Amino acid sequence: MNILIQLSNLSVERGGNTLLTELNCTINAGEVVVVLGPNGAGKSSLLLALAGLIPASGSIDLLGKPLASYSRNALSRKIAWQGALPPTEFGLTVRQRLELAADEESNKITSIADAMDIAPLLMRPLGELSSGERQRTELAALMLRDTPIWLLDEPTAHLDLKHQIQCMQILKEQRNSGRAVITVLHDIQQAMAVADFLILIDGKGGAEYGTAKQLFSNHTLSQLFDAPVVREGSVLVPDYGERIL
Amino acid sequence: MRWFILFIAVISCLLLGLAVGEQWINPFAASDALEETILWELRFPRLLTAFAVGGLLALAGAWFQVLLGNPLAEPYVLGVAGSASAGAVTGLMFMPESAWAMSAGAFAGAWIGIVTVMLFSRLGPNRMLLAGVVLAAFWSAVLALLLALLPEQGLFRAFAWMMGDLSHSDIPVPVLLLAWGISLICGLILSRSLDKLLLGERHAEALGVDVKRLRQRLLLLASAVTALAVTAAGTIGFVGLVIPHLMRLLFGSLHRAVLPASAIGGGLLLVLADSAARTAIAPAELPVGILTAIIGVPVFLFLLMKRSG
Repeated sequence: MNILIQLSNLSVERGGNTLLTELNCTINAGEVVVVLGPNGAGKSSLLLALAGLIPASGSIDLLGKPLASYSRNALSRKIAWQGALPPTEFGLTVRQRLELAADEESNKITSIADAMDIAPLLMRPLGELSSGERQRTELAALMLRDTPIWLLDEPTAHLDLKHQIQCMQILKEQRNSGRAVITVLHDIQQAMAVADFLILIDGKGGAEYGTAKQLFSNHTLSQLFDAPVVREGSVLVPDYGERIL
Repeated sequence: MRWFILFIAVISCLLLGLAVGEQWINPFAASDALEETILWELRFPRLLTAFAVGGLLALAGAWFQVLLGNPLAEPYVLGVAGSASAGAVTGLMFMPESAWAMSAGAFAGAWIGIVTVMLFSRLGPNRMLLAGVVLAAFWSAVLALLLALLPEQGLFRAFAWMMGDLSHSDIPVPVLLLAWGISLICGLILSRSLDKLLLGERHAEALGVDVKRLRQRLLLLASAVTALAVTAAGTIGFVGLVIPHLMRLLFGSLHRAVLPASAIGGGLLLVLADSAARTAIAPAELPVGILTAIIGVPVFLFLLMKRSG
């Protein structure tokens, strides 16, 4: 196994509040890890800590070395992070945004923009795009980053069904490329479709790591989200009540 | 093509600036020694001062906008103009006969303002902006107090300086031009990191930028450039706010284009404004700060409407 990230007794705090404590796990190349939990539980903060963008206590080892020993520049060559949509005030175009991610005149920009259905938008300012188009731009920017680890914060947010499915497909494909993917998702079925392992954060400081088989039960998920989750055949779905159609 | 037009515009404006004034003089055919003197010893250094100061203000404006992540930022947003003005008026108050007291006071005042703002630089862009706005209000109050205490005969000089005065800069032209060049080179060296900062602090960091260090460097650079420009020519508004936006409309958002275009465009606007200020009510002069807005606002709004349409 090629260990990319090792977390030991990791605790993350934001604004004086402890979000999660004593998370231990090992993430290998070719694994997809899904982070699940209620709003405000600390999922995004966990990704920020893993990207070295906020401090955390405990230890994070990246490729066998402490994360803190990497320079900002060296870290950016190991980890790519997709987070909130960037601001649009200064008129960057889609192509310029992608060039900044590629860090050079990459010849992959056109093909990746094609794949993400944003090729016709390349010369448009980011501020003129819909949220879904901006999200696809951010995913394209991530795909231009040739790093062994991807961190994604709600990559399917704002996306229509076609592009949600495409996004899931992209995440699955990373297994074959030997990349480790850690992604925050809200949709249980999406999580079930891609996750090799899960990190469940309960919003009360607790965090668990394990396989879907170990952690995914309707009881666990109902408790985690404080909302009803039921089993339909072999899948778990939120219980929205009686169906209208 | 756009760069070529900008280059032609600079040459044309410099020639126009040489020709106009209280008296029209053909820059290529001065009729006597007096005209030669007016052209090359009075107007030319003043034009170069205007060009350098305008360029420095536009560069500082572009940097402050990225540094604070706010398109409304401009060189004076953190109170440097207020502290420099307070310094200049203090100089005038204590040494009313001295030719350089206002410049020396402005320079000292600008740096007092900068050091004060630097104390808040670790707060992050939004809080730093808030601290800067509050400090600007403080310096305005100090300035108002000083003006109230200033003897009547000093008031005209103080107000003329506060609205921009290129008629007698105490900083030698070569120093200003050198500062213009060095600032532009520094800006170009940082341009890739500045581009990434346009995506926000987190994205920039994730792309390998040491944002904390970049912010410190940028704050120091932009503040030093503002201090120099204010010392040379008083407080000239508008250039630092609008020229970077105008250049983004014309040249795109990446700093390898925005910074040189702003350094040239800011110079161009101030040369035009100063030429108009010297000519409009000759032999008297208008404060150049009024003209920068009168010329720049319609041009900017026209381009904004055209692009939006």
